[in-house]
Amino acid sequence: MNDTVHATCVWCYEGTWLVLTNWFRVPRQPPTLPVTDDSVVTSFRPSDNYLRYLKVFFWIGCLAIDICLAILWILIAIAVPLVGLLITPLMLFIMIIPDVVAYVAIHLKFDTTWYVLSNRSMRIRRGIWIIHETTITFENIQNVQLTQGPIERYFGFANLVVETAGGGASAEGEAHGQAHQGIMVGLADASEVRDRIMAKVRQFQSAGLGDDRHAAGLSGTTIGFSAGDIDLLAEIRDQIVRLRMHESKRD
Amino acid sequence: MPETPNEPDFDATKITRPAPVLLTYYILVSVPTFFFALPVLWFRYLTLQYKFDSEGVSMQWGLLFRKEILLTYRRIQDIHLTRNIVQRWFGLATVGIQTASASSGPEMSIEGILEAEPLRDFLYQQMRGARGETEPSKAASNNDLTVENRSNATELLQEIRDNLVLLNQRSEE
Repeated sequence: MNDTVHATCVWCYEGTWLVLTNWFRVPRQPPTLPVTDDSVVTSFRPSDNYLRYLKVFFWIGCLAIDICLAILWILIAIAVPLVGLLITPLMLFIMIIPDVVAYVAIHLKFDTTWYVLSNRSMRIRRGIWIIHETTITFENIQNVQLTQGPIERYFGFANLVVETAGGGASAEGEAHGQAHQGIMVGLADASEVRDRIMAKVRQFQSAGLGDDRHAAGLSGTTIGFSAGDIDLLAEIRDQIVRLRMHESKRD
Repeated sequence: MPETPNEPDFDATKITRPAPVLLTYYILVSVPTFFFALPVLWFRYLTLQYKFDSEGVSMQWGLLFRKEILLTYRRIQDIHLTRNIVQRWFGLATVGIQTASASSGPEMSIEGILEAEPLRDFLYQQMRGARGETEPSKAASNNDLTVENRSNATELLQEIRDNLVLLNQRSEE
């Protein structure tokens, strides 16, 4: 019995994805990042804890709305029994269908959220109707924030907000795809990801604001002698050796 | 022009005009406003021009009120690729480019490009920190080189000194 239920769920799930990929052109694979060297690209989703958190709130909201609707329905049925009977299918429809849609939407929201980290940059994808992908290089990151509410702590996940230079976006703004920031919601190992990002950010000595491309290379070569200097020195040595030879000949 | 290793056939410098599908998209977008927004969008489509060069990108549009935006790749802070469902059907996307300004919206929204993902990756490659020319490891390797040079120079200088010492000894004798 359980197996058939499971098989049906998988079938429904795959069918939904088929519709999404074929009709709505939602990519099922995680986004990629172009890498020049052989660095590793890791992609991951929010943790399962985040899904459980979403579902708990879904059930609470679903129960609240449905109880209100049921009370309304009962009141109508008591006042005018005939009308109450007539609106039964309508009420059931209103009570059940949005819940199913919301439940599927939660799962899809979870499944379409991807976080990709490479050696140099990160990419965040979210959304179903509007797919939004944000790319930020670690060198441009100004600060990294980790936020966790009490309920989020109970479920065991945290949110990471990565900000680049520039204003116009509130750090706590839940509006996704905001300017100048990348929001990574629902990370079970948020502090680990934060450490990973911050380790990269600390490596870069620049301010993260359009510094000169060749600055580091130039400052490296100005120390010490250039190849030309060494040639010159070699010439001087040869001259002195010749001078010595002359001296010895004269003797 | 720096190369984009992942997309050899994609050349951003060839992009000057949006794809014609953009007009269809604009017409569809203006349906909810009962085509009130269409004239503006139509002229925007007609006059929209892009110019990608080795250092930056410019974009201009407008018939009566003209607007031109220029920015350099180095000043890009973050890149956003947004595709709503209609855009996905047409294969379009909006590539939003952010610089470090105080505005919350993207400074430049590149619309109507069919190769949006290669373009995004091209812009990403031009961004600061994407290829790591300012990365410490490379600077360190540069330092290694100079250290080697320096030791060579020191050896030479020592030889010169020794020779000079010998010379001096000779002349003293």
